[in-house]
Amino acid sequence: MSEVRKLRVPIEPGFFTVPDDPSAPPRLLGSRCAVCGEHFFPRRQVCARCLAGGTQDVELSPRGTLYTWTYVHFPLFGSKRADHAGGYGVGQVDLPEGPRVQAVLQGGPDDFRIGMEMELELETLRENKEGQDVVIHRFRPVGASR
Amino acid sequence: MKLDNVAVLGVGMTRFGVYRDRSNIDLAREAGLAALGDAGISFKDVGEAFVGYLGAQPMTGIRAMKEFGLTGLPVTHVENASATGLVAFRDAAWAVASGRCQVAMALGFDKMTEMGMGSRGVGRGIGRDAIDSVILPAAYFSLWAMRRMHERGTKPEHFAAIAAKNWNFGAKNPWSDRQPDHAVTVEEVLASRKIAEPLTAMMSCPVDDGAACVILASKELARRLQPGRPLVAPIVSTLQSETYARGHTFMGPVVGPPSMTRDTARQAYDESGIDPMDVSVTLVHDAFASEELEYYELLGFCREGEAEKLVEEKQTHLGGRFPFNTDGGLIARGHPGGPTGLAQIFELTRQLRGEAGPRQVANARIGLAHLVGGGSVCTVSILKRE
Repeated sequence: MSEVRKLRVPIEPGFFTVPDDPSAPPRLLGSRCAVCGEHFFPRRQVCARCLAGGTQDVELSPRGTLYTWTYVHFPLFGSKRADHAGGYGVGQVDLPEGPRVQAVLQGGPDDFRIGMEMELELETLRENKEGQDVVIHRFRPVGASR
Repeated sequence: MKLDNVAVLGVGMTRFGVYRDRSNIDLAREAGLAALGDAGISFKDVGEAFVGYLGAQPMTGIRAMKEFGLTGLPVTHVENASATGLVAFRDAAWAVASGRCQVAMALGFDKMTEMGMGSRGVGRGIGRDAIDSVILPAAYFSLWAMRRMHERGTKPEHFAAIAAKNWNFGAKNPWSDRQPDHAVTVEEVLASRKIAEPLTAMMSCPVDDGAACVILASKELARRLQPGRPLVAPIVSTLQSETYARGHTFMGPVVGPPSMTRDTARQAYDESGIDPMDVSVTLVHDAFASEELEYYELLGFCREGEAEKLVEEKQTHLGGRFPFNTDGGLIARGHPGGPTGLAQIFELTRQLRGEAGPRQVANARIGLAHLVGGGSVCTVSILKRE
């Protein structure tokens, strides 16, 4: 590989993996209750279901099912900033382990249907002062081009 | 637990709207003095106060109370996002019902027009450039609405019909921000600017400033001070935060799942012995019209899947079986934040006293107020004319 790959850093640590290989799927970082087995995103120490302490760190499935979605035409209420123009999708995705994850969706208002399979990807938001790409997680319909 | 021996002694509010040249404290003074006037008491008679707001600095509640005088009374700040005013009302009602004081004041104010656009914590939406990308409330409630449409075949026309009803109630309420000069139609609501699928601007509440105040007293005192007036008694007030269930979404949502409303209302009905079929007039958190449709079912006014029929039959209009948001609701009357729940008590009190003029529900006897708040919480209060 001749191209020098830019280093990618998460917008905040502790929520998702950033694989060295950009073609590898990222994973959401979750927790599993050691007592009752319930899974959570994001990570938490105390189980919200059975209240036991001491959850285990797990990586969650990068695929899930779209529970609901919307397309935001007016991204920031009352904002007149040019970079707030346009729109974006937002949805809730049910992961096979149980957590329902709300995140930005990649695609236009005609691209989403409740019940469709979605996969996790990383979106580059901006470059930081060190020249690294700052990335955040989002979902896209399975099979959609990046 | 049922509330006992507490009555609404007085209510007051500013009209909600945009007040560029007035401060929070100025608005609070107007609402508080109006409530003291309606109660027919002096501020020195107030034994305790609960003050709620979202957008002002810490301590603003204590400073606002000084506008009425410095009597040494205990003052407590209350903040529960959009539910703040109704929770201040709950605390004031319990301060009286518990016997801790004879008269308590709940005061709410806010200038949502001055709250930082996109600032974290205010819940106005911070866009996508943050890990916990709290989207604007319209987008979050759109997620409910899209799921509802998927499950029940609800149409945008149903949401538009609810919005038009509330706009048209606003025209009948002098305290409403939005007072349209013509009958608002479903077509007009649908044609307004799309905010987030399927919600339009006219299905959404405005950004408001304003203040509202409710004064509560023991029933004996209320009867003694106001012998000719119907006694309006809060009989229950419930407050819940979220209960964990599979599918709970920890990051991003503005407010918890719809089931919070069902659970909080059920507790209120159980504790008071009131059946939803007994309720004459209901005010809910219709920040977005799609919410009101969901609350018809969640508050028990119809069975699951029947809310659309209630809309089609206009059962929540004046003259219908269950009049909803008779003051225009959040959509027309407005939603500054802190005072919103106290404006609901203002309207219910006037309805139960028979003072609601052109929007009066005939023989109103029991009123219900409901709010959800970010974080999140749900609160339900029921008032009864005795």
